[in-house]
Amino acid sequence: MVYVLIGKCEGIVIRNVDYGETSKIVTIYTKELGKISLMARGAKKPVSKLSGITQLLQQGYFLFHAGNGMGTLQQGESIRGFRNILEDIYLTSYATFMSELLDRTTEEKQKNTFLFELFERLLEYLNDGYDPEIILNIFELKILSLLGIAPELSRCVNCGHIDGNFMFSTKEGGIICHRCIDQDRYALPISVGAAKIMRMLYLIDVNRLGNISISEQTKHEIRELIDQYYEKNSGLYLKSKKFLKQMESMKLVLPMKKD
Amino acid sequence: MYYPEPISKLIDNFTKLPGIGPKTATRLAFYVLDMEEESVLEFAKALVNAKRQLTYCSICGHITDKDPCIICSDQRRDQTVLCVVQESKDLIAMEKMREYTGLYHVLQGSISPMEGIGPEDINIPSLLKRLQDDTVQEVILATNPNIEGEATAMYISKLLKPSGIKTTRLAHGLPVGGDLEYADEVTLLKAMEGRREF
Repeated sequence: MVYVLIGKCEGIVIRNVDYGETSKIVTIYTKELGKISLMARGAKKPVSKLSGITQLLQQGYFLFHAGNGMGTLQQGESIRGFRNILEDIYLTSYATFMSELLDRTTEEKQKNTFLFELFERLLEYLNDGYDPEIILNIFELKILSLLGIAPELSRCVNCGHIDGNFMFSTKEGGIICHRCIDQDRYALPISVGAAKIMRMLYLIDVNRLGNISISEQTKHEIRELIDQYYEKNSGLYLKSKKFLKQMESMKLVLPMKKD
Repeated sequence: MYYPEPISKLIDNFTKLPGIGPKTATRLAFYVLDMEEESVLEFAKALVNAKRQLTYCSICGHITDKDPCIICSDQRRDQTVLCVVQESKDLIAMEKMREYTGLYHVLQGSISPMEGIGPEDINIPSLLKRLQDDTVQEVILATNPNIEGEATAMYISKLLKPSGIKTTRLAHGLPVGGDLEYADEVTLLKAMEGRREF
């Protein structure tokens, strides 16, 4: 006997895959159940009730049938659609990268309310016009601790000293002092400012995010370090990263804001 | 396999088509066995010809058997309006409307942040080349109303802004014959924003 349950969850659509002619498989990060994938039958038809609610980054309440296998999306009620993000191609590229990162680093049906709220809050900030690079850095650093590979940024990862000259070691997993530099000959230079800001972004409570302004040079430095760290330790290759890079290089040519 | 090789090969090849599983493939393969030899040959020829004879139009990117395609070479069409669509299938859908008499440009895809498909991976450079002489006065962005289509439309509109060419986007909203009470909030919001004077 197949048990059919009806579930209702609040969530944000983080992925969309076409299925057949008119259906879609939607991945939603929910507050109550963590990540779930649902079949949205007919969602690609123009007259479907599900077509709007299953768009990427839609936040809403989702009603679904949960059987033994993949559930079926029955209804959806929109809470908000993060309009400002979707109307700006640059912000879209940041938000899709965050969605893909969340999708790739979480398992189905593993509830994590903190992560849901973090993601929701950061999208809100992105929507409200905060610096997208800072938002992305916060999310990437917080995700690292979820993966269990957060870098040590407050003391030497090898000997524990808090004084000395520091370098950033992707191999050792954090900053290493001049005494331990032999542990990693490929350690990257890191400025005191960048180390402090990275630590702050990692520990920050996102509900209290005030106005943070970081110089372009430090931002660039942090970007490089996080990218290298992800490449070395996470084993993730995200397609949206390529797009984000393309968009970043295009920012120089095209105006940033939608006018 | 319980079938002789020729038919099992045929089944294998039918399963390569979208939406066709082993059961349907077997049914189709056995149907082919019952067909007249002439029809089978015609069928096979049609398959090969479709692959061999069709190319992409060097001007608009639509699939065609002669270059430039019939739409681009038709001088009666309005040369000042250009409708940008994602796929050849979208062009056909627009043509079925029988109201639009301008030209087209087929992008052969859309910008997809999720899939990492950027502006350089689709047919945008040729669009810009087409717009260099001042013939085209208006560009209609008829990409899909989803995140990929919107991203593509946004990108093209940003590119064209400095040139001063009028850029328009297809309307979003209620489908013809739809019921207002069953429309979802997102569609209704779009319809409300796009309302016009009666």
